[in-house]
Amino acid sequence: MGFRMAPPQDPLYAGLGQAIRIATDLLAALIVGGALGWVCDTYVFDSTPWGMIIGLLMGIVAGMRNAYRSIQRWPKT
Amino acid sequence: MEESPLHQFELQNWIPISLGGFDISINKAVVFMWIVVLVAAVLMVMAGSARKLVPGKLQSLAEMMVDFIRSMILDTMGKEGMRFFPLIASLFVFILFSNLIGLIPGSYTVTSQIIVTAVFSFLVYGLSLVMGFMLHGAKFLGILVPPGTPGWLVPLMIPIEIISQVARPVSLAVRLFANMTAGHVMLAVLFSLTIGGGLLIGWLPFAFTVAIYGLEFGIAFIQAYIFSILTCVYLGDAFHLHGHDEHAH
Repeated sequence: MGFRMAPPQDPLYAGLGQAIRIATDLLAALIVGGALGWVCDTYVFDSTPWGMIIGLLMGIVAGMRNAYRSIQRWPKT
Repeated sequence: MEESPLHQFELQNWIPISLGGFDISINKAVVFMWIVVLVAAVLMVMAGSARKLVPGKLQSLAEMMVDFIRSMILDTMGKEGMRFFPLIASLFVFILFSNLIGLIPGSYTVTSQIIVTAVFSFLVYGLSLVMGFMLHGAKFLGILVPPGTPGWLVPLMIPIEIISQVARPVSLAVRLFANMTAGHVMLAVLFSLTIGGGLLIGWLPFAFTVAIYGLEFGIAFIQAYIFSILTCVYLGDAFHLHGHDEHAH
């Protein structure tokens, strides 16, 4: 059994790493968008549901953009 | 065995210290952070002190690691990225060793505390912002408008890009923390099922425990790799404004 320093070069682990990256890219942008919307609602504009709704929608778009950007950068195998 | 699987992440203050209103008590996570730094430093110094032409086991392992980090930096940032080699190598080694040491039963995974990963990721992201503004000045704000955006879309793109920029350090921190926490919770649940199941059915969750433990070993490497390669990518973005589309590999 050969022990390699870099499991990322193993196709199985490379795929696992890519899946983990995309999942958190989508999730993190959603959290950030929702949180920014909520802060606008509660502390800035007092516009309760709307800031969070718009923030979540923009979070979805931003998450897709981040995921798309990280896919674009992957080395072609 | 009615212990919560989250019990392993609880921290008790071993030596309570309070300095100027801040709680800087010594707890298990702090002690294990010291152990990680100590183990990594001792191993790397031992590997580096031999300097043989034909390397021994330890030296060739360390050389492989340095070579791996070097090619990662050259691939993502190019030659000028090599000045960040010490930062990225230390991040990689620290995260790798704390993930691996955390897999020893009874020890503590430092990276399963979100504050540890968040400090690293916001530090890296802050560094990339500082680098960007130092190199490009106010033009660096151009990252908020991707090239080729039609004029009427700009007011919509700017908030979206702000969210996607803020999401970068958040996703970096959450990814490492969530993977480490989830893996250890899974191991704890499966192992408590093994003990609860007894000999009759307990072998089944035990087999899964062994399999997941092996997977976690790989995850420890992947997470260290992802964290350091994304550090390279974010720092590289600060260097080449909109440049990554041309020399995409």
